[in-house]
Amino acid sequence: MLARGVSRSSVIQSLRVMLIPGRYGLERWSYVLQRVSGVVVSLYFIAHVLETGNFIGGITVWSVPEYSFAERAYEETVKLLKNPIFDVGLAVIGFLVGFHTINGIRLILAHFGFSLGRPKRPEPFTPPPSFSSKQRALFWLSISLAVFALLYTLDALTRVFRP
Amino acid sequence: MVEKVKFRVFRYRPEDGGRGFYKEYEVPVKKGMTILDGLIYIKENIDPTLSVRYSCRMAICGSCGVRVNGVETLACHTQVLELRRRTIRVEPMRNYPLVKDLVTDMTPLFRKQKALMTWLIRRDTVEQENPTKQYLQSEEELERYLQFTYCIQCGLCYSACPVVSTFPDFYGPQPLMKAYRYYADSRDEGGEERVRLVDRFEGVWRCHFAGSCSAVCPKGVDPALAIQLLRRSALKG
Repeated sequence: MLARGVSRSSVIQSLRVMLIPGRYGLERWSYVLQRVSGVVVSLYFIAHVLETGNFIGGITVWSVPEYSFAERAYEETVKLLKNPIFDVGLAVIGFLVGFHTINGIRLILAHFGFSLGRPKRPEPFTPPPSFSSKQRALFWLSISLAVFALLYTLDALTRVFRP
Repeated sequence: MVEKVKFRVFRYRPEDGGRGFYKEYEVPVKKGMTILDGLIYIKENIDPTLSVRYSCRMAICGSCGVRVNGVETLACHTQVLELRRRTIRVEPMRNYPLVKDLVTDMTPLFRKQKALMTWLIRRDTVEQENPTKQYLQSEEELERYLQFTYCIQCGLCYSACPVVSTFPDFYGPQPLMKAYRYYADSRDEGGEERVRLVDRFEGVWRCHFAGSCSAVCPKGVDPALAIQLLRRSALKG
C-alpha cells in the first residue's frame, strides 16, 4: 500500500533511479550492487532458515518429530535443490555475499572518514578526493573476493552434490 | 564544417496536465557549439515555445542545469561535438518539481539549505555586524573548507543523487556540503547546532556514498567527501 501523495509512477521512477547505475561511474555501480546484494542475501537468509527448519518439522518445531521425518525431509530437500538452477543461484549468492562484505567494510571506513582524501582545491581532470585510490582499491578487492567466492561455490557444488 | 545533430528534447506543459513527451529537432552544429547554443537555436528558429533557463552562458551562474544523455551537466558547459552522438537527449533535472520543459523549480534545494543554517554563525552578532578587528585564518584553516566554496548552486548534485529520488526528505548533497563548508570554517561558532541539525535520519545518515554528486559537479566540488566528514563530526559528537 502506498503512502498518501506517493503515486505508482513515482515509485517506479525511484526504483529505476536506484537500480540503473547509468553513466555516473564506479561509485554508483558500487551503490547499486550493495543494495541489490543486501536485499537478495536477506531474502536468501529467510529462505535458508525456512528450508533447514523443515528438517526438524518446520513451524511445528516445538513438538520434535521422529528422526525418520527429518531424514525424509532432508532427502526431499536435497532432491529439490539438486538442479543447475539452484547451483547457479547459490554461486550468485556466494558472489553477492563476498561483495557485500568487503564493500560494506569499505563503506563503513568511508562513513568514519577513513580512506578518503583530504579537501583540496578542485583541479581539472583530477578525480574528487572522495574517489581516492584506497577507496577504488577496496572496491576492486570486493569484486575480486566476490569472483573468488563465485568460483569456490561452483567448485564446492560440483564436488559435494556431484560425487 | 557544419553537421546536423538531432536534439531529442523533453517537453512538458503544465496546462496540458499529465506526462511530458519528447520532441525532436534537427540542429546545424559547428565546432565549439554548446548544448545551450543548440537549445537557443531551436527556440529562435524552430520552436519558440521551448522553455530553457540560462543566464551567464559560461558556467558561472549555474542556471542551465539539465540532463544530457542521462547525465546531469550545465548546458553551457557541454560541447555538442564532444558528445560524439548523432542524437542528443536533453531532459530537465530530476528531484525537482517541473515548471515547464527544461525549467525546474529549485525551491526544495534552497529550502533545505536554509533549514541547515548555511551561513556564518557568530555568537556576538553585534561584533559580526560591526567588526572591530580582522579575523585572520591560516592557510591550513582555509584549505579545510575552500574546496567547498566553489559551489555555484546549480543543483546538479541534488538531481544526480539516487537517495533524494527514493527518499525526498533527505537533505541532499548540496545543502549538507554547504553545512560542512561553514562547520569547517574556523570563524564559525555554530558547529554544535549545525551538527545537531544534520545528525538525523534525513541528514548525514541517509547518504549511501553513491558518489554521483561529486561525479557530476561542473566545478570539481566534492559533496560526497563533505558528507562523510560531517558524518565523522556527528559521530564524535
